Amino acid sequence: MLQQRSIITKYIFYMLPLVLLAAACQKEKPYALPTPKDVLQNDVIKRTLGPNIVGQTIEFAYAMAILPSKGKLVSAQVEASIPGAGATYLENRSFYTGSGGADVGVQVGSASVNSGNTTTVTFTKDTMASTLRYYYVIPEAARGKTVSFTFSAKSSDGETVSFKAGPYTIAQMDMARLITVKDGGACYLSISDTTAYTAAQAVTNASKIDLVYLYRALPTVTFTHALVAPAADTQYLPGITLPAGVNRSVKMNKVFNLQDFNLARLQYGIYIDDLDFQQLNLTNAPNYALNLKAEAGVWVETADGKYRAYIYINSIDNTNRSAVISIKRYTMQGK
Amino acid sequence: MKKYIKAFAGAAILVIALAACKNNFPVDEDGLLITTRQECYVSNFELLGTDYVTVRTKAAVIDTTAQTINVEVLYGTDLKNLYPQFTLVTDAKLDPKITGKVDFSDLANPKVWTVVSGNRQIRKAYKVIVSVQKK
Repeated sequence: MLQQRSIITKYIFYMLPLVLLAAACQKEKPYALPTPKDVLQNDVIKRTLGPNIVGQTIEFAYAMAILPSKGKLVSAQVEASIPGAGATYLENRSFYTGSGGADVGVQVGSASVNSGNTTTVTFTKDTMASTLRYYYVIPEAARGKTVSFTFSAKSSDGETVSFKAGPYTIAQMDMARLITVKDGGACYLSISDTTAYTAAQAVTNASKIDLVYLYRALPTVTFTHALVAPAADTQYLPGITLPAGVNRSVKMNKVFNLQDFNLARLQYGIYIDDLDFQQLNLTNAPNYALNLKAEAGVWVETADGKYRAYIYINSIDNTNRSAVISIKRYTMQGK
Repeated sequence: MKKYIKAFAGAAILVIALAACKNNFPVDEDGLLITTRQECYVSNFELLGTDYVTVRTKAAVIDTTAQTINVEVLYGTDLKNLYPQFTLVTDAKLDPKITGKVDFSDLANPKVWTVVSGNRQIRKAYKVIVSVQKK
């Protein structure tokens, strides 16, 4: 019995390395070139991030390819459910990355043609594979709606292929970028017009003026760049004589570290969307904001509750007593 | 064999007994440990605006004898929406708790918070006196 056990142990002892060796020798499948599909193929990616705002662009990259033995590309077309604004186009160049890292375009077709809600590029060079970029400029008609796209391509052997993208929600909000406000100059800001007016212009637009921009370098307190409602306590409007009829109030809250990408165009991937305005609560908020710094901002709600906005300070200039601001504005429903 | 069984049973009883002892550390109604510390004071005080940036003009003056905190805020500070932050001595806690924005606009009636010591026996009420920087 004892002898039998020792034989079994021996067997195991010798067999184990053999098993291990055999397992180690198991080869992976040799690499073989994948067999390409012999049909016309396509694919789409959306390149832009963040909310889709009217007047801004949604960018896509549309790739299509066919085997050289089967034929070549004839045309590429994009159909949008809502026709894009005039500047909508499909790129007629295919890009590759140059040695310096920059995109280099190679023209492969005629300039795109917009007809109704379709945009078409016809290939003029013998092309079997191409990626064309599509720039959809969001029209006013799409505000608050959803837009979807059908990308399609045709090849010389009569094949067609298509790819559906979306639906994408178009934001309700508006955006106005890089408005220069200047103390003593264009300092009367209208949220409804997203425009800065001078004192003379403010007289004719008195009912629309929501804020006054001013810069004060006071000896004892830090006032500097400020946005103050015309109806605010006069101590926050030192040396300001309001034009006749300018008397509205707002609710506003100072914010720091909210560099919205659309407004700031800096490295921060922060986006303010419709939802932020819908959920904004400015109860008990004051009607002035002093000591504003570059890259800071203020949430604002107009006195009539019609508009909510985020005003971002792009830059400030103490010497010229001015600032550059950008605004995202949301119109409240039913107001 | 009997010897092993006895030893195992003995060890099991010991483990159960030890596990049962874990409730010997006293905790208060917030689940915080009640310790033996008697110290009861505020060591630092901060006041932040809605943008989470300080609104103080200088460091707050904390008088642990008079139990007051004097803090001067910047001209134009929105006193209705401020976030106070207390730093307390080890193991102490604050009553009432600060859960969000606090309205300091009633300057004539300063807000009061009570510091409770680590042993939960000593309570000291601190008055937060806010003043606005003069123009």
